[in-house]
Amino acid sequence: METRPIRPICAPQPIPVKTGIGLRAKHHAQILRERPAAAWFEAHSENYFAAGGVLPGILERIAEDYPLSLHGVGLSIGTTDPLDLEHLAKLKRLIERCQPALVSEHLCWGAIGGRFTNDLLPLPHTEEALRHMIGRVRDVQDFLGLQILIENVSSYVEYSASTMTEWDFLAALAKASGCGVLLDINNIYVSAMNHAFDARVFIDAMPRHAVREMHLAGHSVDRHRDREIRIDTHSTQVCDDVWSLYRYAVRRLPGIPTLIEWDTDIPALDVLMAEAAKADAIQESQHVASA
Amino acid sequence: MLHLRELQQRFGAALFDGDDAVTTDIIGDRGIAPRERLAVYRNNLREGFRKTLALEFPVIERLVGEAYFRRLALDFLSAHPSRCGDLHHIGAPFADFLECRFGASEYAYLCDVARLEWAREQALVAADATPLVVTQLRSIAQDDYAALCFSPHPSCSLVHSRFPIVRIWESNQPGAPEQLIDLASGPVCALIHRRRGAVELETLDAASFAWLRALLGGATLGAAVDVALSGGSEFDLSAALARMISRGIFVAFTVPLIPRTLRRTGNTHERPPSPYATACGTRPAA
Repeated sequence: METRPIRPICAPQPIPVKTGIGLRAKHHAQILRERPAAAWFEAHSENYFAAGGVLPGILERIAEDYPLSLHGVGLSIGTTDPLDLEHLAKLKRLIERCQPALVSEHLCWGAIGGRFTNDLLPLPHTEEALRHMIGRVRDVQDFLGLQILIENVSSYVEYSASTMTEWDFLAALAKASGCGVLLDINNIYVSAMNHAFDARVFIDAMPRHAVREMHLAGHSVDRHRDREIRIDTHSTQVCDDVWSLYRYAVRRLPGIPTLIEWDTDIPALDVLMAEAAKADAIQESQHVASA
Repeated sequence: MLHLRELQQRFGAALFDGDDAVTTDIIGDRGIAPRERLAVYRNNLREGFRKTLALEFPVIERLVGEAYFRRLALDFLSAHPSRCGDLHHIGAPFADFLECRFGASEYAYLCDVARLEWAREQALVAADATPLVVTQLRSIAQDDYAALCFSPHPSCSLVHSRFPIVRIWESNQPGAPEQLIDLASGPVCALIHRRRGAVELETLDAASFAWLRALLGGATLGAAVDVALSGGSEFDLSAALARMISRGIFVAFTVPLIPRTLRRTGNTHERPPSPYATACGTRPAA
């Protein structure tokens, strides 16, 4: 399959190799008032789809002062329903308004037969699903006129139909569609624990040039009789195991911007800044070690 | 081999319709039953839906209580699942859903409270537009006033209820003092719109409400005045128009293009006086 040329985004402020913070409405006023020393922000695109009112303007003002990434959670790119062109048009309008340095979506589907779960459901890792995703990612990149990043999701099921691993699927998708990879370290860990694979193998399989961003977040653990399911809740601090895995990822893939995500029971901005500082320290120690 | 579309259809049926049986052979086991794995996604779907609905209708949640609201949200999810990737839209059919369930009961006021909450939600995110200012109307010729049409600000909507829904809404805001509200102390005519980024809510008298509803529906100023007066109560057009313009309710007006002499004017004595064009202004170029 031929890879079409894709325009890299020419944002006024590129994302630095530092750790940014997920932008949440709870912190809008504080950010505008105090201009905290965050390295960059990532916004959930759909939260700013409003036709008017204060929200789009707030994002524009934040984008004037900080490098910005737009992260989609609702496109359902992997559905076999038709792509939602209205959704894409709203995303494109937001991109034009805010000039983000990165635009990302998930390796998932979320809607079928016109019903939306508004969740990130895993795809089966089959040749058919891979062909489908390659086509979809190309369509989205053509529509937006720019490269998107695709993020691996946490999953709680494995499909009997899968014939390849998730990491081979993602690497093949990036190669064939020209998309970048947003590597979510917490999601790798959650899925590795739920499906009993070695998380480091996932990271090792990533094409180094394709990975353009990493995510870190906290998760929770559900007990099912004698077994556990790890759930990607973004409701707590990054756990020690995920920090260890992040150290491994930074050694393997140095110089990639990282983001701290927190979506449920969102704490004070200071707590997020402290998590970001922790990730920065790991990046810097790796930098020193490799110098 | 199971195709992607069929897999998604079966997974979707399991999540939305509770049809677990269709997934047991497509989901691997590995220590935890497919049913339990699926339950994680079903819980995500239900909780995400409920939380969003509660954010959009906090007063309804407070009125019916958290536990009953959870049941309502589940039933609403079955009847009206999210139809778009932006979860914020799920509340659109909620008031009608409540109407079907409670319209004929003693809880009928819930439907109108939900309408009020949704109107506020919509006002927050409606498109921006620059409101009309009074001076723009000064150039209208006296005789043209009756045929003027106004375009409302996109954030603007009206809710009428036979119940005192504005007081119910206000007394269920965080920190508001507890009070007993007589459900028979309605009706109420509410105007909801956004001004300088914030949603405003005010009540109108019946005649002003009828007039504004006609205008927002596309009626000419003259026809809207007829509607306002048809209820038999007094109506002061100058005051009503000045009030609405000061609130930023209108963003544009259209002047009739038909020459005055050819217009079918009807009962000319009923035509409203021009509130602003005291001196005969020049007609703007059509």
